[in-house]
Amino acid sequence: MTLQAFLFYLLATIAIGSALCMVTLRNMARSLFLFFVVLFAVAGLYIFALADFIAITQIMVYVGGVLVLLLFAFMLSNKTLLNELSAGTRHFVSLPAWQGLLISGTFLTLMIYAVTSLGRYEPSWIARAQEQATTIAVTDNTVEQLGIHLMTRFVLAFEVVSVMIMMALVGAAHLARKEPNR
Amino acid sequence: MITLTHFLAVSACLFAIGLFAVLVRRNAILVLVGIELMINAAILNLVAFGRYDAQFYGGQVFALFAIVLAAAAVAVALAIILNVYQQYNTIDPNEIQDLKE
Amino acid sequence: MTYPILATLVAVLSPLGAFLLSALMGRRSVSRVLSIASIAGSLLAAIYVFGQVWEQDILHAQWTWFTIGEYQMRVGILLDNLSVVMLLLVPLIALPVHIYSVAYMAGDPGTHRYWMYLSLFCSAMLGLVVSDNLLVMYVFWELVGFASYLLIGYWFTKESAARANMKAFIINRIGDVGFLVGIGLVYAQFGSLDVRYLFGEGGAVTQALVPDGIWQFEDHSLPAVWLTATGMAFFLGAMAKSAQFPLHVWLADAMEGPTAVSSLIHAATMVAAGVYLLARLFSLFDANVLTIVAWVGTATALLGAFFALTQHDIKKILAFSTVSQLGLMMVAIGTGHVAIAMFYLVVHAFFKCVLFLGAGAVIREMARLRDRYRLAFDPQDIRAMGGLGKRMPITAASMGVAALALAGIPLTAGYLSKDLLLVSVFKWGLQRDGLVTLIPFLLIAVSGMTTFYIARCIFKVFFGKLRVRVSQGYLDTRVHVDAAPKSLLIPMAILALAALFPLFSRQPLHIDDLWLVNGLAAGTVSEASFGVLHSLLPVFTTALSAALALLAWRWYVRGRYQADPSQWLYRLSLNQGYLDAAYQTIFVRPFIALGRAAKAFDTHVVDGAVSGVANAGRKLAAAAGWWDFRVVDGLVRLVGKTASWLGNVFRRSQTGRVQYYMYLMVFAVLLVLIYHLVNQG
Repeated sequence: MTLQAFLFYLLATIAIGSALCMVTLRNMARSLFLFFVVLFAVAGLYIFALADFIAITQIMVYVGGVLVLLLFAFMLSNKTLLNELSAGTRHFVSLPAWQGLLISGTFLTLMIYAVTSLGRYEPSWIARAQEQATTIAVTDNTVEQLGIHLMTRFVLAFEVVSVMIMMALVGAAHLARKEPNR
Repeated sequence: MITLTHFLAVSACLFAIGLFAVLVRRNAILVLVGIELMINAAILNLVAFGRYDAQFYGGQVFALFAIVLAAAAVAVALAIILNVYQQYNTIDPNEIQDLKE
Repeated sequence: MTYPILATLVAVLSPLGAFLLSALMGRRSVSRVLSIASIAGSLLAAIYVFGQVWEQDILHAQWTWFTIGEYQMRVGILLDNLSVVMLLLVPLIALPVHIYSVAYMAGDPGTHRYWMYLSLFCSAMLGLVVSDNLLVMYVFWELVGFASYLLIGYWFTKESAARANMKAFIINRIGDVGFLVGIGLVYAQFGSLDVRYLFGEGGAVTQALVPDGIWQFEDHSLPAVWLTATGMAFFLGAMAKSAQFPLHVWLADAMEGPTAVSSLIHAATMVAAGVYLLARLFSLFDANVLTIVAWVGTATALLGAFFALTQHDIKKILAFSTVSQLGLMMVAIGTGHVAIAMFYLVVHAFFKCVLFLGAGAVIREMARLRDRYRLAFDPQDIRAMGGLGKRMPITAASMGVAALALAGIPLTAGYLSKDLLLVSVFKWGLQRDGLVTLIPFLLIAVSGMTTFYIARCIFKVFFGKLRVRVSQGYLDTRVHVDAAPKSLLIPMAILALAALFPLFSRQPLHIDDLWLVNGLAAGTVSEASFGVLHSLLPVFTTALSAALALLAWRWYVRGRYQADPSQWLYRLSLNQGYLDAAYQTIFVRPFIALGRAAKAFDTHVVDGAVSGVANAGRKLAAAAGWWDFRVVDGLVRLVGKTASWLGNVFRRSQTGRVQYYMYLMVFAVLLVLIYHLVNQG
């Protein structure tokens, strides 16, 4: 096995294992920190897919933004909420309902099956890209390319997303305000 | 040799785990975390396919937008969870089943 | 319409008028006066008619009753010797009985009913004897039976009286069936029911010939057995009415009625109606029927006397005596001596009536004795009586005379009638051979028994000492017993005088040349001289009577009683041959069971069918209702319920829980995925 494969499998195992633990642990704080680990592992997988900028963006936005937000929301909520959340810590692992397990398991099976059958015959555009050598090379400057494409091809989407972020900001702030008569 | 299939398999696993968390967990914040996990799995998928598109970098751009949008969604969702807690005094999704009066 | 006919109509209809007026006016005491006045009127009319018709021309008046097509039914009044004798006899007996009844029934509530029924009876009896048509005679026959029923059950609140009058009526009905059958047969053969046409001098019946076993009359012919059958049918009617064996059982129970009623109806007149019928229809009977009549009469006479020997109730002794004497009258008819039978009937009417009236007086005084000293005994039981001769002299004398007449002791009319009968029957018997020669000797035995039982009755009632039982032995014999009041005694005494010989014959001992017999004997066989029998037989029978009377004296007055009450003959006699029990088992119980079965059939099958149909209808309606409710409405309700059930089912998917919705969504996605994967293959 090459180092590449070994690293890939390592990162994948960390990601999946952490995810599993995360969804089964009763202790919410531990779940959130394991989410932290999952995000990092997935960022590593992005780098394997030659999307280095995305990986960094993931770390900055997801880990630094979303996860921190979740942690703050969890830690800074009032006592009763904490009590209630920690009320069900009798077992180390929460026993899952069988329906959820079944559905998820089925979904997983189907997806793996689809994925492996995809592997048998590659989509035409992927084969064409490989022939024409239009795949992303390791030595490409992704940042430069991403910047060019964002400003030229996807500029509309870029602007709309920025408007949307502002809306989300305003909305969240409004929703979370404290009413005077409460 | 790491092929596209490996990435897709990992993505599928993450997605299933995220789905499981959404369906089963009795805490709204952990449901939100499950949703985030599913979004992450989708972004991994995008990035894995985007490797074969050097012409337009479509996959990676899409992944970028997805990350941003996911962050915005989390913010709004947390605000909503806060409101729900103030109304119902619980954030167990199973308990919140009344329609608005 | 001649005067005698008019007078006859008055005689028949005036008691009927009294009956109707009493019925209309209700309970007021004038009914007594009406009845007595009406019967007195009848008596006067009857005397006049008798004088006009006896030994003179026959009077016959007819009117048209109804017309059917060309056939005219004519009914009317026939007055010949036979009719006017009976026409005179009935009011002659009835008037004293009416006067007697005034005192006898005093104090009884509802006496207006009594007078009403008594008048009805008299009217019907008079109508019976003068009617000239068999059908009209049948109507009066029935009426007489009906009046008897009403009077026996006069005290209808008593269970025994109610049962007795039912018994009398039912047994009379049996006879009436025979009468009706006879009417039918006579009409079938002769085409007419007119009595004079059929049975008069040279009437149709005598003209009907019986050559070679065919009963032939003009153009009608029937096999000869029908002639016997017709005779038997009429005899059946007479058997029931005149209490012949085996239809005699009603007469003893008929003593439940008032004693005055017993004297008039069940001794003197109504029971004689059977004898009168046979006398009227005599030419219809052939040799077979007459033999049967003679034997039945003999059996009745023997049984009646046998039962009378041991009875304790004074009225029952007299009732069985009547049965026995009626048997003798039937023997007279059966041997062909119609005039003698009628003579016997007339004489018997007088002395039997006296005996009953006397018994009534005795019973009345014993009842008053019982009430005065608050004792408890049956006032009709002769074992409680005794020594009443000193207390009730006139009653004793009258009853004594009547008893002598019944026993056939010389100087009484009874001697004349009994002697004439015995001599005639002996002459008849000696002329024949076979079993019938026994009949005369059996009649001598009857005569002996008759003397014995009536002597027993008289001695036990009027002689000796009072034997009322009280707790410590016998009642003191110095108690006060009244004589009967005058209104009871006078009628009794007058009738008792009539039982002596002067009314019927110029000299007391010889039985030739009796005006009544000579008047009735025309047209029937009669013997002019009887030879040695004439002198031998009366002496023998009188000696026998004297001996038996002496024996009775020894037993009952001296007290040297020698018979054993537990011996089987005694018990057989006392229980009337157990005939009542036999009839009960053989006839009454099966009929009652049949009635019950019919009632059960009617209730369960007939009514059951009706209510079954009703039930079926109801069940059908219930089924239709069930169908309508459960199935038809059920379908409608099913639709509603299905909708609501479906709604319930679907409501469960609206839980309001987010994760539940997520489940459904993911499940649907899975299904689509599976579908696509399967299709892609």
